[in-house]
Amino acid sequence: MTDEDTGASSTVTPASGDADATSESGDASANGDASVSTEAATSENITETVNASIVDADSLTDDPEGVPFTGDDLVIGYPGTEEPVIDDESVVAAPGEVTALVGPNGSGKSTLLKGLADQIEPDAGSVLLDGRDIGDFGSKALARRLGLLSQENVAPDGLTVEKLVTHGRYPHRGAFDGLTDDDRAAIDRAIDLAGVDHLRDRDLGSLSGGQKQLVWIAMVLAQETDVLLLDEPTTFLDMHHQLQVMGIVETLRDEAEMTIVVVLHDVEQAARFADYIIALDDGAVYDWGPPEDVLTEDLLADVFAVDATVDHDPLRVSPQRALDADE
Amino acid sequence: MAEDIPASAEPTTDRDERFAWLDRSLATLCLGSVIIVLVAGFVQVRFGTYDMSWGAAFSALTDEAIWFNRGTWEAFLLGERLPEGVSIESRIVWAQRVPRVVVAVFVGMNLAVSGAIFQAVTRNELASPFILGVSSGAGLMILLTLVVLSGFTLVIPLALTTVTLTTSALLPLFAALGGIVAFGLVYMIAWKNGTSPVRLVLAGVVVGMVFTSLQRALFFFAQDIAVVQQAIAWTTGSITGVQWEEVRIILPSTVVAMGIALLSARQLNVLLLGEKTASSLGMNVERTRFALSAVAVLAAAASIAVAGIVSFVGLVVPHVVRNLIGSDYKRLIIGCLFAGPALMVAADVGARLGPLALNGSMGQIPVGIVTGLVGGPYFLYLMRKKEAVGDI
Repeated sequence: MTDEDTGASSTVTPASGDADATSESGDASANGDASVSTEAATSENITETVNASIVDADSLTDDPEGVPFTGDDLVIGYPGTEEPVIDDESVVAAPGEVTALVGPNGSGKSTLLKGLADQIEPDAGSVLLDGRDIGDFGSKALARRLGLLSQENVAPDGLTVEKLVTHGRYPHRGAFDGLTDDDRAAIDRAIDLAGVDHLRDRDLGSLSGGQKQLVWIAMVLAQETDVLLLDEPTTFLDMHHQLQVMGIVETLRDEAEMTIVVVLHDVEQAARFADYIIALDDGAVYDWGPPEDVLTEDLLADVFAVDATVDHDPLRVSPQRALDADE
Repeated sequence: MAEDIPASAEPTTDRDERFAWLDRSLATLCLGSVIIVLVAGFVQVRFGTYDMSWGAAFSALTDEAIWFNRGTWEAFLLGERLPEGVSIESRIVWAQRVPRVVVAVFVGMNLAVSGAIFQAVTRNELASPFILGVSSGAGLMILLTLVVLSGFTLVIPLALTTVTLTTSALLPLFAALGGIVAFGLVYMIAWKNGTSPVRLVLAGVVVGMVFTSLQRALFFFAQDIAVVQQAIAWTTGSITGVQWEEVRIILPSTVVAMGIALLSARQLNVLLLGEKTASSLGMNVERTRFALSAVAVLAAAASIAVAGIVSFVGLVVPHVVRNLIGSDYKRLIIGCLFAGPALMVAADVGARLGPLALNGSMGQIPVGIVTGLVGGPYFLYLMRKKEAVGDI
């Protein structure tokens, strides 16, 4: 069955053919389940629908290399405070790669992310998406290119998983439009990618913290953006869900060429999953580069005030003990 | 789960999805509300100073001379004279008693939907149509009009004739305007680099306190007891003696406000996800919040113009509906469109016939007293039953 379908999607470029094959293998298990309960003809139908939607996803990303996303000379603060949190810093999110923002508590990671996401207007500097200032986008137009998952999210009681994910289509719909087939396909794809298909009709309030986080990620994925910003998506989650979240991030990078910026609390996680790391210390960029260059024993002592050993190949950070402030 | 994927591709299930919001609980709620309105409405047209039997009331209600006569509808909706040849029962039922039921239906709708919108805008279950200063602004204007402007007439010279407006004709307009102005004031006070639900509610409380004090002070300047009673009836909410005139006042803005509310269900739902999420989904939160508040204030002002300040309906109805059918605003607004009239019409039966049933007096009490008496304890019951009350 898989062979047939790969044949069916032969119109896609070779680069995205890879992505197809990978997703296909993921879908194969879903098909297996389906054929237990339904006719063979129906499961055939399922594969076609899913397959067609994957082709759509690829055609949406017009730039196979990913979209560049940068913050230039940013000064970001909160109203009512004298000193800005981020003072004249520039950051680059590598196109189609995962960039992790790391730093100790209060180093300005979340503030920087909010500035990049247009949640706080920078006092100076500009954020460029695909070379265009994000202030020049309309609010809905920006939300079609740039997605943000905040650290804490609230939903009203009685909201189902599918309904919440449907809200991810908000920027794609006119004020009074119904759901189009594109919308439905995007919702199915997002739910599938986040691995929450089995929770589809569940009430959000009945889910565990980890499941909720996956559902929120599905909502942001339904936005189908080129750039995705995640604010500490793994904090408070158990190990299983942490790995699941980071697995989704990797899939998005590999298959959709999304440009991803993720704030991570856990340096070891950053070392493992990020292509680039931006280390923040007290509102300033301390270092930027691939994890193996950035994560050094010196950096961990200077920025995080921990004594740690760093093994290379594979890169592994092992914190030993907290350093005193004056050390 | 497996069936869900092809579902979206098949046209038959497309239609099912479009009506997916109409499920058993919502249908039951709507049907139950319609039955309450019909039964209470029928009781309302049967009883009164002019005594008639159930049969006579029924035949007057179904009178073909009313239903299939263009003239009567022009009389009701455009203010023409009621045509000749209508029986006395039909005349009493249709000219005196039916408009009261119709006004109650519209007031109930407006208040319930207005409350539902304010609960989403402030993300607080305890919000009502009057939370942003609307009731205190309207109340102050009611007192000002009755006490300070009593006996005042406004003469507007037009090309061919002059229009003379007396205090009582201006009162509904002034009351509604007072509510809208107070809302504007609350918004201005709350605005500082944007608003927040908490700041809006606090500003509403502050403006409400000041205006209520001024309103109370004005009571001392009232010259006679009749003015005071009229002021109390307006500030408690009453639809005693309403005519088709009041239906004509409330109908246009009701159609507009309810239409916009139904179409804004998705905006309301996204607003419930919190400001951060709403704005990251591309919503202009400030603009949406203001526009939705304005629609809710329009609905509240329309009901104030005909009925004064009817409390509790706007607080209790959305709450009850939410408990029955959940917090999806598409369903919630539809539920409120039906449940609001049910509470209002039923409460008005109590306001009009309650004193008669209790001690045989022909006096009537303001319907706002009944809604408070019914709604208050029910709300308390809900509060005791639920674990968490407050945030939606």
